[in-house]
Amino acid sequence: MTAPLLQIADLRLAFDSWRGPVEVLHGISLNIRRGEKVALVGESGSGKSVTARIIAGLLQYQRGARISGHVAFDGKDLLGLSERAFRDLRGTAMSMVFQDPTSALNPVFTIADQFREVLGRAHKDISRAEARRRAAEALDHVLIHEPERVLASYPFQLSGGMNQRVLIAMALANQPALLLADEPGTALDVTVQDRTLHLMADLIEEVGSAVLFISHNLGVVREFADRVYVIYRGRIVEHAGTDALFHDPRHPYTRALLAAVPKISGEGLPDTLVETSDAFDAPAVIHDGCEEPPLPAGMAA
Amino acid sequence: MSSTFFKTIGIRLWTSALVLVGVSILIFCIARVIPGDPARIALGPNATQEQVELLRERLHLNESLPVQYFEFVRELFQGDLGMSLYTNRPVTTDIGDFLPATLELVVFAGILMVVVGIPLGVLAARYRDKLTDNVVRLLSLLGVVTPTFVWAVFLMLIFAFYLEILPVAGRLSQGVDPPPGVTGFYTIDALLAGQWSTFGDAFSHIILPATALALTGIGQTARLTRASVAETYDKPYVEMAQAYGFSDRRIASKYALRPAMIPSLTIMGLDFAAMLGGAFLVEAVFAWPGLARYGVETILHKDLNGIVGTVLVISAFFLIVNMLVDIAVAWLNPRIRLQKRWAG
Ligand SMILES: Nc1ncnc2c1ncn2[C@@H]1O[C@H](COP(=O)(O)OP(=O)(O)OP(=O)(O)O)[C@@H](O)[C@H]1O
Ligand SMILES: [Mg+2]
Repeated sequence: MTAPLLQIADLRLAFDSWRGPVEVLHGISLNIRRGEKVALVGESGSGKSVTARIIAGLLQYQRGARISGHVAFDGKDLLGLSERAFRDLRGTAMSMVFQDPTSALNPVFTIADQFREVLGRAHKDISRAEARRRAAEALDHVLIHEPERVLASYPFQLSGGMNQRVLIAMALANQPALLLADEPGTALDVTVQDRTLHLMADLIEEVGSAVLFISHNLGVVREFADRVYVIYRGRIVEHAGTDALFHDPRHPYTRALLAAVPKISGEGLPDTLVETSDAFDAPAVIHDGCEEPPLPAGMAA
Repeated sequence: MSSTFFKTIGIRLWTSALVLVGVSILIFCIARVIPGDPARIALGPNATQEQVELLRERLHLNESLPVQYFEFVRELFQGDLGMSLYTNRPVTTDIGDFLPATLELVVFAGILMVVVGIPLGVLAARYRDKLTDNVVRLLSLLGVVTPTFVWAVFLMLIFAFYLEILPVAGRLSQGVDPPPGVTGFYTIDALLAGQWSTFGDAFSHIILPATALALTGIGQTARLTRASVAETYDKPYVEMAQAYGFSDRRIASKYALRPAMIPSLTIMGLDFAAMLGGAFLVEAVFAWPGLARYGVETILHKDLNGIVGTVLVISAFFLIVNMLVDIAVAWLNPRIRLQKRWAG
């Protein structure tokens, strides 16, 4: 078996505070193979976004963030990489889709300008005209019918759903090996969100990127992901294939989570489960066939 | 640029004109209610009562205020601001002589403020809470809290007296003829005429006063830019730029700076316009023959026409700067430029 595209082992994260370090991740292990769609679900504050931000290298160089463990991506040690080498990966080998599309786009530059900058990450000396042509093509792929009008617009002139499509097109324009989707489009209304998520799923299929899909929306996770990790307070509590997880949830926290969903409209997770239980701290349940592979040689502790 | 944009500018021009009318009425009245008879002051104690009365007649001082104002406006439209009682020349001639010197000083200081202040602020924001940031913050605070005239004296002592590398006072050295007047800016006129040594002389004379005048503005601009850029660094679009691997320098100088400039530009414009006020102290210290000094002399001599003329020019300067800043803000901010609804 070849090594996974992304492999995280025993990842720990603490933030310095004036009262001493506050632990946020307590040893997370997670892997994604090439082209695979993996979901990470859990309540608010459980550590989903910080995990994504470590993978994207946005936390490593920040003062006050203490990180230990192993993160390997495509044969590179992401915790030991220089800032410069990491920057070369971003926007090319990996990219990201954000929660609120309109605020993720710069308000004072046109979509065309921003798109050109993104394309320039993979194609160093791309000409203005060529960038525009490719951007229009990419927008066409996310079913934007007037790409020229959209390219000439500023984000505030477009609807949230339109901006979300633009972001998706940007994220996949350079055919990244890994896409980090941190609650994409949660800021949008439910039907728009649903439509753009399906668009994203189709495009990912086409490009063949692997995805770490962070979501509150269990309905979408069920439809979309190959495997699911459930995270609770900085620990993975259950890891299973999607069908297995939804048909046979074994960890008490996962069960409570799934039981809570029908009560909430739109299949979204509640921000936190109202009841907590000591049982939630039970050891992780790893379903058969979902064991973490050994770390690649040279990276083991 | 949309037509609504030009319409907005047109409206601004009209309101500016209205403000000027208001200011002129106000200063016109104030100048006339300060105690003391301007004619008597101008002619001195030895003049006879008849001579004073004659001058009062010529200045329409015996008419009611509205009539006086009407006369003033009528002459203004003929390009005449009246005679200065202090210099005994037309006020327009005085302003034509002194304004370019002040403008040159202020424009130089403004350029320094932008060219030094903004990069310092960006640097501090980019290295937030690191050594660079702390150094910039300390220096800019020093710039802000130290009064302009202290800077002026301090710079003069160090560079003109102690190190003797820059001239002490004036716009040109003794024996150097002013370049042929086109703009009235000696540096630019010298360049236009190809007089390199005159340019060098004029330039060396303006360095110290312009720096003294600019230091407060530089500090203010650096602080403002730092705060504003640091705030945009927390915006999702900057994180997005980082997540897509845009270089730090590009993010600092473009993706974070441009949105950050929108709120700070207006305040920078006011700081710049306020330099005209600070210019008086600098002109006094460096014996710079500018409008600020002229303005004070006219007030001391109760030179009615001189006071009103100077104040009008200064007000016009404020309004023009304000308008240029508005145009710059609109240019930077597509929401204003395109005059569409605000979304969020
Ligand atoms: N820069 C930081 N400094 C200090 N604490 C932080 C920082 N970033 C995140 N945290 C803390 O880490 C924990 C995990 O945050 P994270 O953003 O990963 O949650 P999340 O699972 O994404 O939640 P949500 O669903 O609300 O987005 C939270 O308790 C948060 O307060
Ligand atoms: Mg989050």
